[in-house]
Amino acid sequence: MVCALCKISAPTEQIGVSVATNAVTDSTLGEVKVELRDVRKTFGTNEVLHGINLTVSKGEHVVLFGPSGSGKSTILRSINLLEVPTSGSVKFNGVEYGPGDPTEESVIRGRPLELRRSIGMVFQQFNLFPHLTAIHNIALPLRSVKKMSRRDAEEKAAQSLRDVGLLQWSGSFPAQMSGGQQQRVAIARALSLDPEVMLFDEPTSALDPELVGEVLSVMRRLATMGMTMVVVTHELGFAREVGDHNVFMEEGRIVETGGRGFFESCSHPRTQAFMGSVL
Amino acid sequence: MTPFSARSVNYDWGLVWDNRDMFWWGLVTALQVSAVALVLSMVFGMLLALGRMGRRPGSILAAAYINIFRGIPALVSVIWVYFGWSLLVGYNFSTFQAGVIALTLLYSAFFAEIFRSALTALSLGQNEAGLALGMSSGRVFFSVKLPQATKIAIPNIGNMFIGMVKDTSVFTVIGLVEIVRVTQNLNATYFQPFVLFTTAAIIYVVLAFVLDFMFRTLEKTLSTPTNGFFATLLTSRRSTRINKLIEVHGDS
Ligand SMILES: Nc1ncnc2c1ncn2[C@@H]1O[C@H](COP(=O)(O)OP(=O)(O)OP(=O)(O)O)[C@@H](O)[C@H]1O
Ligand SMILES: [Mg+2]
Repeated sequence: MVCALCKISAPTEQIGVSVATNAVTDSTLGEVKVELRDVRKTFGTNEVLHGINLTVSKGEHVVLFGPSGSGKSTILRSINLLEVPTSGSVKFNGVEYGPGDPTEESVIRGRPLELRRSIGMVFQQFNLFPHLTAIHNIALPLRSVKKMSRRDAEEKAAQSLRDVGLLQWSGSFPAQMSGGQQQRVAIARALSLDPEVMLFDEPTSALDPELVGEVLSVMRRLATMGMTMVVVTHELGFAREVGDHNVFMEEGRIVETGGRGFFESCSHPRTQAFMGSVL
Repeated sequence: MTPFSARSVNYDWGLVWDNRDMFWWGLVTALQVSAVALVLSMVFGMLLALGRMGRRPGSILAAAYINIFRGIPALVSVIWVYFGWSLLVGYNFSTFQAGVIALTLLYSAFFAEIFRSALTALSLGQNEAGLALGMSSGRVFFSVKLPQATKIAIPNIGNMFIGMVKDTSVFTVIGLVEIVRVTQNLNATYFQPFVLFTTAAIIYVVLAFVLDFMFRTLEKTLSTPTNGFFATLLTSRRSTRINKLIEVHGDS
């Protein structure tokens, strides 16, 4: 097997070990990782999330979909507090990071910085640091967040790049890489910090069609390994394949949710209309 | 051409060579004042830019500073500092100190605007990517935003520096022995205004060329992907390390 991605699943590989700690095992199945309760978000006078409830369990793959402007990105960004909800509770591992639930009297509160260190995020526009090589895009957060030495950080960064099949590109700058390669570096960068949950905000929407596959295959591999994932995507084929919990939303509200087979069984007319327009 | 008529026109260019040391030290003084002021203005300019981009009332104060000080001429500034401030704080600044302070007061305002536009040119995504990775906002600023903004700002920084060196010429009024003061002193002795001030002008022009070239080289050196002789030299150890990592990990 020459496919570098295949290496991720081999438990003897370093990255395999780090991610395997998040894998679904019988004892941990159902443990709640992320819990949003009655999350509302207002920009100016415009409320764009009207009370969102969402639970993400360990090893679960949640797929969010819905029309543009329905609030998918805002939900994702609320989970790692890039967007602070106007009201509502954002819990991670039982610790409160949002404004909180007014009915709950005493809660343990955490700092956004700590939350973000356990949650990885991949953006539509990759957001690699253009002044750094691929390997240093990964090594910088390792040094800054994990306090690794330069040597250890570069070592680990090289392994992460190898795991997404881009070791040869270590010394290249983002501008020298294709969109698909940049997004794989971005995924490797997030994964190298050993997150417990990964958030993907339309990771393939900015890619040329022929480059979508390579990114989806990295994500598919990650899903197979049991990574807890929340994915916003318009790739319904991918969603159908990995989605354990599918959430259809419109205008800041969750309209319908369902488990596997959701795409065949969804019953709400809005959902069906949307499916019809996308498929 | 008789020796007589030559004497009546009397362009004694040899004078310049004979007094080359004085011109040299005038040049060095002008560069020293400008260089110290450059570093200080960049630091204060960055702080002003951050203040201006931040919350009230800091943003209002920063904006006020910028709009006031970029309108003051260097001549007024240096007289104000050298004579005015000295009375105010009861301390006599040296001509060097007064020159540095005068330039810093003015150029901080210009650098603030340069840095502000460079920072706004960075996409919001850069900041968010850093924060989402769990980096502190301070670390994101120093490792992600500042390097990129500086790179964007370099051509403007170069232009500002050339302007600063030229502005030191007015510091002759407080008696700073820079290029113009040297020229005036020599002229008082030899009365050769055409020769001496042509020389002064040439020094400024050549200096501007050299500084421009240096900043262009710096810009090229810092550009990515790595470009040019100095950049290759500076990053050669990094490249070696990366190639070794590729080799080591490629085998497994
Ligand atoms: N920073 C902001 N300021 C003001 N309004 C915003 C901001 N971010 C998002 N919005 C608004 O919030 C609503 C939801 O936006 P969001 O980006 O979450 O939608 P989305 O479902 O991700 O859409 P898309 O598919 O286009 O990415 C939109 O109406 C958008 O205009
Ligand atoms: Mg979006």
